[in-house]
Amino acid sequence: MSYFFQIVVSGIVVGSIYALAALGLVLVYKSSRVANFAHGQLIAAGAFIAYALTVWAKVPIFFSFLISMGVTFFLAMSVEKIFLRRLIGEPIISVIMVTIGLASILDGLIYLTPFGSENFSFPAFLPRTSLSYGGVSISWTQLVGVVVTMVLIGGFSWFFKKSTVGISMRAVSDDQFAAMSVGISVQTVFGLAWATAGLSAAAAGCIIGNITGLNFDTLHAFGIVVFPVVILGGLDSILGAVVAGIIMGLIQQFASGYLDGNWGLNGTGEVMPYVILLIILLFKPHGLFGIHEIERV
Amino acid sequence: MSSNQWLATGNFFTTYKQEQRTFFTSLDRSVFSLFLALLFIWPMVFPLSNQYMLVIDSTLIAIVAVMGLNLVTGFAGLISIGHAAFVGVGAYTVASLCRTLGDSHVVLTHFWPVIILLGGLVGAVFGAVVGLPALRLKHLYLAIATLSFQMIFEWTINFMTFFNQGQTISVGRVFWVTGKVMRKEHYQFWYYATLIVIILSGFGIRNLMKTRYGRCLIAVRDNDRAADAMGMHPGFTKVYAFALSGFMAGVAGALHAYLYRGVGFESFTLHHSISYLAMAIVGGLGTLNGSFWGPVAIQFLELQVERFAGFAGDFLPSSMNLATALRPLTFGLVIVLFLMFEPRGIANWWRIVKSYTKKWPFRY
Repeated sequence: MSYFFQIVVSGIVVGSIYALAALGLVLVYKSSRVANFAHGQLIAAGAFIAYALTVWAKVPIFFSFLISMGVTFFLAMSVEKIFLRRLIGEPIISVIMVTIGLASILDGLIYLTPFGSENFSFPAFLPRTSLSYGGVSISWTQLVGVVVTMVLIGGFSWFFKKSTVGISMRAVSDDQFAAMSVGISVQTVFGLAWATAGLSAAAAGCIIGNITGLNFDTLHAFGIVVFPVVILGGLDSILGAVVAGIIMGLIQQFASGYLDGNWGLNGTGEVMPYVILLIILLFKPHGLFGIHEIERV
Repeated sequence: MSSNQWLATGNFFTTYKQEQRTFFTSLDRSVFSLFLALLFIWPMVFPLSNQYMLVIDSTLIAIVAVMGLNLVTGFAGLISIGHAAFVGVGAYTVASLCRTLGDSHVVLTHFWPVIILLGGLVGAVFGAVVGLPALRLKHLYLAIATLSFQMIFEWTINFMTFFNQGQTISVGRVFWVTGKVMRKEHYQFWYYATLIVIILSGFGIRNLMKTRYGRCLIAVRDNDRAADAMGMHPGFTKVYAFALSGFMAGVAGALHAYLYRGVGFESFTLHHSISYLAMAIVGGLGTLNGSFWGPVAIQFLELQVERFAGFAGDFLPSSMNLATALRPLTFGLVIVLFLMFEPRGIANWWRIVKSYTKKWPFRY
């Protein structure tokens, strides 16, 4: 039974990271209807900037997390300004392709640095021991990661519900023309949406980097694996991203905990999200909390 | 209209048959046949080394694959981020026959055209199955469905012992009327085989666009609600498009398996899917000659990048792998720049050059 609970715990840990990673994607989609395929690269960039600051520039680790969040904030904002602003009104296929191209560019830039090929890990700043209760254990890093994730998600939902900027972002996502007519600058909102997405990506990157270590392949793989999460949750729902993130984490951990090794299966945790994604797309494409806007033409 | 074609301005067709011709003038036809003849003759006149021939062959195979991608992304307007997986389905069809029958079984070596077709058919079946969500979904959702197929494909190959867990599965040498195709003529042989496939499918696609189904594709791309109102079934049209593109990809995959004489997992990753998309975009989405320009341009670019990386690598610390960094960088830049400044691709440049030379010395 403790095996079961151990899987539940690690599922929640993985799931909350997914939720945080998916948050940035949802933010961008919610305001500008762009699916950002370069999100994984932003996550990786955030984590690497934090690492470079702590280890090479000897900045205290908490400050370097904050600075890296600030840097990706402006990085994502300028990406929007340079590449995506020109494409407003273009067919959706070119917008998607531009983000894929961006992912490729960022890949190349990261490969130019030592981070592209080597593994790093953040210096430990939390106790190495793990908490255990009744055979179920969780490390301090994981626990702090989950707590920080929950705080961040709470902060973002407050930001969307209450703050003026958040409300104008929701207004833009609802109807761009109506938002413009009440004096909201749609361009600023798009820029801010990308910037907050960059910020949350850096936060996700730092947390993932602390839990799993810094490896470019695992970090940018998050940019792909968040797609099942956001589809399950509904593309434009923050609550959906959180719930779906945790569901996906649990499914993944249960799959690798109970299916691997039986019937010659192996590595099922990696493929389960995509299988589920295909099933959702066939039967409930707007996800759990998404707006029903799929047309059946 | 005027019976004297020199007096007419513009195209005047008096019968449907005239409009359906592949070549409008005899000059067109003769220039094209001359070009084809050149394509067939040059390898005999200037024999290249195997290394260069391999590059040319793989470009041709990419052309076959990109023709399929252009059907689904260019003509039908559905983004497919899993095209390399469909190519992989074709290649692994050959590979699984090799695993079950042995890699130089008579079926594989003597009946290879049938096997290539079979690869195409299996690809078509997979394409149709993956395209099924197209009955309900559009744009982004469909792109993500193909992405998930790509990931499932990679997992299946990587973890199944039947597929050697992604390690290379070797494919035997084929036989031709002159006997076994040996190492010396292997690459030239597959150059001709792929060229014939390209010519056949090029004519096929060109004619397809003049049929009811081809026009359906374009109508669905431009406005699926209007297409629905006109009595087409957009969902099924999209599924057909996926099946056709899967067929072309499967053929490309089977050719790939025979050309490299082995099938390995690393040729069909997400990275390759993206580079197929890059080829289609650079060439020009929704045009037939774009499918030829794109792979050639990208392959040329890749060679140049590799040369530059080899050149610049001498001045840099050896720990930096410049080629792996520059390849995605240039790829991404090319995709983004083309989308921002020339969304119609190289095919548009070709069109401008053609109309300029046709009308010279007049402006229009």
